[in-house]
Amino acid sequence: MSLRPIQLNVIDLPKGDYTGGKSSLCPGCGHDQISNIIIQAAWENGIAPETIAKMSGIGCSSKTPAYFLGKSHGFNTVHGRMPSVTTGANMVNKDLTFIGVSGDGDTASIGIGQFVHAIRRNLNMVYIVENNGVYGLTKGQYSATVEKGSKKKKGITNENPPIDLCKMAINLGCGFVARSFSGSKKQLTALMRAALSHKGMAVIDVISPCVTFANNDESYRSYNYVKANDDELHSVDYIPHFTPVEEVEIPEGEFKDIKLFDGSTLRLETIGDDHDPSDAVAALAAIHEAEKENRHVTGLLHYNSEMKTADEALDLTQKPLVDLAENEMRPSKDVLEEINNSFRV
Amino acid sequence: MAQIVNDFTVNIATANGTGSQSANLILLNSMFEMGVSVSGKNLFPSNISGLPTWFIIRASDAGYQAPGDNTHIQIVMNKDTWMADVEKAESGTIIIYNQDVKLPIERDDCTVLGMPMTKMARSINPKLARLMANMYYVGGLAEILGIDSEAIHSAVTQQFKGKEKAIELNMQAIGEGRTFARENWDCNIAHVVEAREKNPNTYLIDGNEATALGCIFGGVNMLSWYPITPSSSLAESIIGWIPKIRTGDDGGATCAVIQAEDELAAAGMVIGAGWAGGRGMTCTSGPGISLMSEFIGLAYFAEVPGVIWDVNRVGPSTGLPTRTQQADLTLLYEASHGDTQHIVLIPGTVDECFEYGWKAFDYAERFQTLVFGFSDLDLGMNQWVTAGFEYPELPLDRGKVLRTQKELDAIENFGRYRDVDGDGIPYRTLPGSGLEPILYRGTGHDEDGVYSEDPAVYHATVSRLKRKIDGARDLLPAPIIRNEEERQIGIVYYGSVENSIKEIDDILEATGIKVSTCRVRALPYHSEVEKFVEEHEQIVVLEVNRDGQLYGILRKEMPTDLLNKMYCVAFSDGMPPRAQVYVDMILETLGVTQEVKA
Repeated sequence: MSLRPIQLNVIDLPKGDYTGGKSSLCPGCGHDQISNIIIQAAWENGIAPETIAKMSGIGCSSKTPAYFLGKSHGFNTVHGRMPSVTTGANMVNKDLTFIGVSGDGDTASIGIGQFVHAIRRNLNMVYIVENNGVYGLTKGQYSATVEKGSKKKKGITNENPPIDLCKMAINLGCGFVARSFSGSKKQLTALMRAALSHKGMAVIDVISPCVTFANNDESYRSYNYVKANDDELHSVDYIPHFTPVEEVEIPEGEFKDIKLFDGSTLRLETIGDDHDPSDAVAALAAIHEAEKENRHVTGLLHYNSEMKTADEALDLTQKPLVDLAENEMRPSKDVLEEINNSFRV
Repeated sequence: MAQIVNDFTVNIATANGTGSQSANLILLNSMFEMGVSVSGKNLFPSNISGLPTWFIIRASDAGYQAPGDNTHIQIVMNKDTWMADVEKAESGTIIIYNQDVKLPIERDDCTVLGMPMTKMARSINPKLARLMANMYYVGGLAEILGIDSEAIHSAVTQQFKGKEKAIELNMQAIGEGRTFARENWDCNIAHVVEAREKNPNTYLIDGNEATALGCIFGGVNMLSWYPITPSSSLAESIIGWIPKIRTGDDGGATCAVIQAEDELAAAGMVIGAGWAGGRGMTCTSGPGISLMSEFIGLAYFAEVPGVIWDVNRVGPSTGLPTRTQQADLTLLYEASHGDTQHIVLIPGTVDECFEYGWKAFDYAERFQTLVFGFSDLDLGMNQWVTAGFEYPELPLDRGKVLRTQKELDAIENFGRYRDVDGDGIPYRTLPGSGLEPILYRGTGHDEDGVYSEDPAVYHATVSRLKRKIDGARDLLPAPIIRNEEERQIGIVYYGSVENSIKEIDDILEATGIKVSTCRVRALPYHSEVEKFVEEHEQIVVLEVNRDGQLYGILRKEMPTDLLNKMYCVAFSDGMPPRAQVYVDMILETLGVTQEVKA
């Protein structure tokens, strides 16, 4: 038996440096597939693990930061409040790469306010919603993203209209909005890698079936249902900035290249109708059309790189605030004396 | 008539949004300029324009800062409160009123002095007549009390900094008011203002601005805030000062400011900033603390530093948003579900607002926990004297942070939550360092930060947390104690009651009782507080709330044998504490009879 050489990424690290602890989620959970894709994407992109901060709220999804990127600091915060903690951390250390993991309960219900405002500020992070339409950790209550007419394993059919997080994000001016499926490894990996190369808020809403409470065929978020009803906008390929030009294949059909902040490219190959991700209205229309047919539209829905991020908008000093020296944090004694004197008449 | 020098209270009744605040501050500052000990209390409504507002100025050579139990001069400008203002005046009060309001004043037992203030203001500037009318009572009062013209001019200049036209117009109005009073008011007033030697270093500043400056000198890196009275001016003051004194070499800010979507998010940002290794803070009032409570528990349990300033207003619920109280103390000390205990710093002066502004960050990072600053509307929004803030005597204390592999290697058997030094305070590493990363969590965790539901692990964790905060006691600001030799009655109090305690003490001592005082300046309370209780025959815990919140905390934590001598005197009606009200309650509580009092 011959030993295979350990494969290293562009910064000479093995994939093992990106893995985490053992998952305690139900066997087959979509979330575990997403964790694997996060590991894969971070490794392939060659991001140093210590420069990543993994953030989450509360719920099945929010437990997953324990299962990936074991060499990165992380914070499993409180329910629905991951964005605010991420905001504070981002202000203090803008050089970190923030990966936030949330769920549909965590984002679309209790945390909807913080989701909205993090987008509005264009917080520089990847915001992954592991969206299964149910509250798993409390044993399967419907969440606010579940489609009207969808039915989980037990109980009645949901009659409330869903909150579509991608529609919300697009309406709020989010610069990177994608939807994918935990079972679409190739698509999700490309989108995840692109999100990590984007500067600003990148929302990826991932349909991630709950194998325990809603994987029955009447559930619009079950494996079988999503597989049969997934309208891919395009086929996606991620080409990292460090790939030599001669190694990049030119596709046969029509395609669109999106240049990302770090110089990498997301290549969108046309499948059916052409989708222009710069057109927010077209993206909303695509979601709307799919929704009417109880189908899911996946791919890069919307992209716009023109906005300042939250930290850029504040005109902070170049150095991350966490690295400031004492004399940069505390004005001098003379300054205080000047202040005292300015108040003295 | 015998003159009463520098010992009176003026109550000025106006409507919100009529510019009366400028007039009132000119009065206050002009007397302050003359070296007179004065205090001003702005009793304003939760409203931008139209509702009644009162401003109380107390002059006192004795240094009394409480609003005063009696009003000597009542100024009535507001038709909506006219009748009530006139009616509540005690016999002998001087009532100064705006004749143009055309409402009657039927008080033969008072000295009633009218002036057509609006009409006179209109002759100077018709458009600004409503605002300028207030300057006429300034002129009238200046004349009868004997406030220097020079001091008035200085105060007007200060009020309208750089606006030459405004200074000129207002000085003209005040001058006309003075002349009118001289020529028309037949008044033989006993109260006069007399100049005193003024310490040239002193100036007036409100507690919120003092705190803001302290926070900036404490190295705040991130301020997240959600507007709420009476704390907004603290945040706005930081925002105002940051570009002036906290820019980096490249001109960029060294403190990020975010107006959060709500108080929950504001608290989350503080925790994020602390987790990432920065100095994060927010400021709020009681309703905000209620909303932040979930995050406060997370910071306590996950051991993340941060600072929250609570400028207390009247609760419960929305309560009286523009009135003062000390009823958030228990909330702060034990905020969030489960067993928690937080460090609370309690300034009683603007100097301490500044000092605790910077110290709060040091304590937060030293003890890896949230630290509260506990101020209130009276201290935060009214003007108080300082002789100038003192520069921090100590360098920043960044606490137990391991920043390099070498530092990490020096710790044997490192674990994020392992008590290596025996003081309950573990070491931490920061995101971005790559050193021993963990997933911080609000769930149960072992010494390495790994999820755990093990009974022994949980018990050890919360016991260590208790030990950690307990260990802060004698490192926090010690109480200010003024002991009488007799050790008879000891009054324990805190915060802005400082402004009333001298008067309370003097009135009590005039009855023959010997009163020592102990101002608690932090929770958990210092061992000297317990010693003070031990030493005195009877202890009165004096506070501005209904239930006696510090009293409750002391009773919970003091040795059982000390409990029987502790008495609760708690009262709150939204007003800053008036001395006589509390004196009466103290005497009643201790069972001192009227005979003894006499």
